[in-house]
Amino acid sequence: MSSKLRGKGVIAGIAIAKALTLEQDLEKYVALYNPGSVEAEIGKVKKAIGEVADILAENVKTLTDKDMAEQAGIMEAHRVMVQDPMLEDNAVAKAGELKSAPRAVLAASEESAAIFENMEDSYFRERAVDIRDVGKRVVRQILGLKGPDIGSEPVILCGHEIEPSVIANIPTEQIAGVVLGQGSTTCHAVIIAKARAIPTVVGLEANLKDIKSGDQLIINGETGEVYVHPTEEQLISFNERIKEQNRLKEHYAQLTSLPAETTDGHKVMLVANISTHLDVEAAVSNFGAEGVGLFRSEFLFMGRNEAPDEEMQFQAYKEAVEKCKGNLCVIRTMDIGGDKPLPYLNIPKEENPFLGWRALRICLSRRDIFMPQVKAILRAGVYGKAAMMLPMVIRLSEVDKVKQIIEEAKVLLSQENKAYSDNVQLGIMVETPAAAVMTPIFAKHVDFFSIGTNDLIQYTLAVDRVNSNVSYLYDPLNPGVLALIKRTIDSANENKIWAGMCGEMASDPHAAVLLMAMGITELSMSAPSIPRVKELIRSVSMAEAKEVLDKVMSMEHASDIKAYLHEKFDDRK
Amino acid sequence: MEKTLTIENKTGLHARPASMFVQTANKFKAKIKLTAKGKTVDAKSILMIMSLGLQQGTDVTISADGEDAQAALDALTDLVKSKFGED
Repeated sequence: MSSKLRGKGVIAGIAIAKALTLEQDLEKYVALYNPGSVEAEIGKVKKAIGEVADILAENVKTLTDKDMAEQAGIMEAHRVMVQDPMLEDNAVAKAGELKSAPRAVLAASEESAAIFENMEDSYFRERAVDIRDVGKRVVRQILGLKGPDIGSEPVILCGHEIEPSVIANIPTEQIAGVVLGQGSTTCHAVIIAKARAIPTVVGLEANLKDIKSGDQLIINGETGEVYVHPTEEQLISFNERIKEQNRLKEHYAQLTSLPAETTDGHKVMLVANISTHLDVEAAVSNFGAEGVGLFRSEFLFMGRNEAPDEEMQFQAYKEAVEKCKGNLCVIRTMDIGGDKPLPYLNIPKEENPFLGWRALRICLSRRDIFMPQVKAILRAGVYGKAAMMLPMVIRLSEVDKVKQIIEEAKVLLSQENKAYSDNVQLGIMVETPAAAVMTPIFAKHVDFFSIGTNDLIQYTLAVDRVNSNVSYLYDPLNPGVLALIKRTIDSANENKIWAGMCGEMASDPHAAVLLMAMGITELSMSAPSIPRVKELIRSVSMAEAKEVLDKVMSMEHASDIKAYLHEKFDDRK
Repeated sequence: MEKTLTIENKTGLHARPASMFVQTANKFKAKIKLTAKGKTVDAKSILMIMSLGLQQGTDVTISADGEDAQAALDALTDLVKSKFGED
């Protein structure tokens, strides 16, 4: 019977393949295990550890040869751990007590994992997962259990959690997709899937039990939908979408290296919105992003029990800046509020989180959280071109305070002998009506504006677009919104600073043409949208775009504007 | 024989420096121990060293016992003094 489950899409793309569930009930096998003498059990522990170390060393070599440095690094750490004398000595001692090699290894790895789980530093805490993974591998080796049995057909891997070593050891072409029960988007398995661009859905929770090995699945890594035993019609329709996906991919690949330039030579920078430093490489090489217009740093802050420290943030920003290869990398400071409470922020329950204590407002009162971020961004600036962007600004004093904090950060960095850049640009997001109206003032105090349309539209129109009763009112082309956007771009140009946009509106090709005519410098969007926008820009001239803009600005209804843009551009390809 | 040093590199004995330390220690036959924060651990175990959570500025005592003890102590001292290659 066909059924549809819904999780959270984390890596876009559609996959159609059979499921392979990885929920291996290790405990069942351990219970059935027949131990020998204590000496024999100790021998088995030592032998299995040696064998797993050899296999891991082999994996590291293969991954290194294939230039998969990130995965090789994770496997190398596992190799060092499995050979650790603490683990081995403990397992050998426990083999005497528990009289069973597999139980001894499980107990020893659990003990080590528990030490790490209780450490203050979150980096070390996360290593507990790796230690348990290593322990299970040794147990499987003792029991003679193979890893998952992958046939010749690609499969969709399904499990509550998938051990990083399992996924790293299956060749990319054998994995069509990944489905996880747990909901973290930053676990090692997801990081590896992302590096390989494998469509992935997480957070299925208990629904995962509806999927059995061998079930036919369709997964949509964008929407988070999972179809189990899809109908014939669904298969046909999704197969069509895969074909369309591949056709577009080929078509857009030809555009990657071309500039976003009008027929009369006017250029716009098309850059990427990213959530982690790992997204930069694909954005640049697969979609032709000319830098990053929005690094959503809050992802570094989520799913943790304490704020990320300066060093961890520095490493992430540095890598993103380096991968931009000389182009600008705009890092937005933490943008979180009561709608996504984090344990260490202690945000009290609010009636109206979107009008509450959030983003910059938190940063300015929680120096312990903001200072490490400011320092990390200044340090990352040494490795290329970095910019700091402030969300939710509504008055000039907020910018002044941040400037003061930046100066203090520089003093601290000098005292700590850490290199930092003096050329990190400072800009604000224009995402409140107040900021948009005040842009002539702000323009004299910052290096750039980036228009955050998602919030600007919501605050300007007083519409929550998730509320289905009013979402029809949410419209980027509402003349009131367009006027605020135009005012922002005009203020920037009059004051010789640059303006960009990092909301979803920037990824609409029609809107992009209007924004270009208004004089915008940069459009930032999710990387896969870049080719579509570029294609339309390359088909128009600036003169024509300006005519269209004049006409649009004289119109009184959003619906008229929309219809006019369709009529004007729909036949362009 | 033993020697007391201060961890000077900024990240302390995080994963990479800890693994360099253990790899160096493993090149020698001598029994090598590391004492810090009142605890003594096997210097050839990355888990034990990492579990100390050593940060910049911590004093550590390295002791070595065995035929190549002097060479081991020298090599580990050099490594700590070089700040594990961090700048």
